[in-house]
Amino acid sequence: MGKPYAHPEVLVSADWVQDHLKDPKVRIVESDEDLLLYDVGHVPDAVRIDWQGDLQDQIIRDYINSEKFSELCSRNGIAGDTTVVFYGDKSNWWACYAFWAFTLFGHKHCKVMNGGRKLWIDQGRPLSTEPSRYPATKYVAADGDEASIRAFREEVLAHAKAGKPLIDVRSPKEFTGELLHMEEYPQEGSLRGGHIPGARNVPWARAVNEDGTFKSTEELIALYQDELGLKPTDDIVAYCRIGERSSLTWFVLTYLLGFSHVRNYDGSWTEWGNLVRVPIARGA
Amino acid sequence: MPAALDEIIADLSESDRQERIDLLIDFAKNLPPLPEHLAKLKDASHRVEECQSPVYLFVEMVRDRVALYADAPIEAPTVRGFVSLLIEGLSGATVEEVLKVPGDLIERCALQEVLGMLRVRGLSGVLRRIKGEVARAAMARAENLSLPEQKRF
Repeated sequence: MGKPYAHPEVLVSADWVQDHLKDPKVRIVESDEDLLLYDVGHVPDAVRIDWQGDLQDQIIRDYINSEKFSELCSRNGIAGDTTVVFYGDKSNWWACYAFWAFTLFGHKHCKVMNGGRKLWIDQGRPLSTEPSRYPATKYVAADGDEASIRAFREEVLAHAKAGKPLIDVRSPKEFTGELLHMEEYPQEGSLRGGHIPGARNVPWARAVNEDGTFKSTEELIALYQDELGLKPTDDIVAYCRIGERSSLTWFVLTYLLGFSHVRNYDGSWTEWGNLVRVPIARGA
Repeated sequence: MPAALDEIIADLSESDRQERIDLLIDFAKNLPPLPEHLAKLKDASHRVEECQSPVYLFVEMVRDRVALYADAPIEAPTVRGFVSLLIEGLSGATVEEVLKVPGDLIERCALQEVLGMLRVRGLSGVLRRIKGEVARAAMARAENLSLPEQKRF
């Protein structure tokens, strides 16, 4: 076995999840890009938390408030000391995003099921179509530490001007400005293409294997520390299009490599590429 | 609008959220497989770029009526379901009927509530692509019909 992850307890295997399905202290949460996947079949006893419908405010571009978050946890039978295990499609993009959002609200015990939905299915594990119901809990949202994991546009502008590390995890064509949107997502286009000046392009998928699991510590060190020259104490901001791919990168850097100062810029390119008078760089 | 599509809109808009999800999943399950002569043609020119998943679309004209075929991955049930819904609603329609399908079809089906704005915007690309393909197929057919006259000079 290779070098362990910096915080190995945060990643659990499908075996572990299968063993803990009935554990009252654990709640398995599915979070997908495609909303229907949960209904098609989910890990038995898992609940669905939809990043769009459940975590986002419906009027302003932001997350729900503490009160709504408490209600969300309460109706999903999540208590303050429940270990919440996230998994989903697309190599756990949205599972990492939900993990990051739960961390914003200060939920202490969060984990990600390595390999996500795809690995669970590929391994022929059981799927259920029964919606999971749990008795409501009393949940009181703790104080999260938004400032340490979330970056807002003014901070990103200052960060870029100071020449601090910025990681753009989109595809190379989005990074250079050739595409105003991800190849398959033109509906999320921006008025301008390119990247934040000084940002380095590290497409998110370089952190995961074909089967949806995260790469090994050695491979991740080779990528982020050797190739990119990042150091574990660097002040780093990651972004993508709407902050979901970059939350996966945030997860990898923070929990797998033990970086201490990584923030997700969730406004990402859908904000930056539409902002008046912010600097933009094009090309490689 | 074609009667089949009207009926689909009525069914969906009158259902509750979970029923809409179930209906869309049913549509996804019932997407007919591509006929063999089309299955071989799954290439970049038939790929719906507007879509988040590899969706392939084919339009054939049978006299003046539209025949639609599509393929979408099983692991993208929302897209697969929507494509299947369109095929069921529009197969056998006239070109004009297809081109007149309202741009807010998804909202009329009350799917925006279920899916959320970002997903809905992506699906709109599928409908636009179908209209574009139907217009192209109709033009090609019109050109074919007028060929004997062009050959005269």
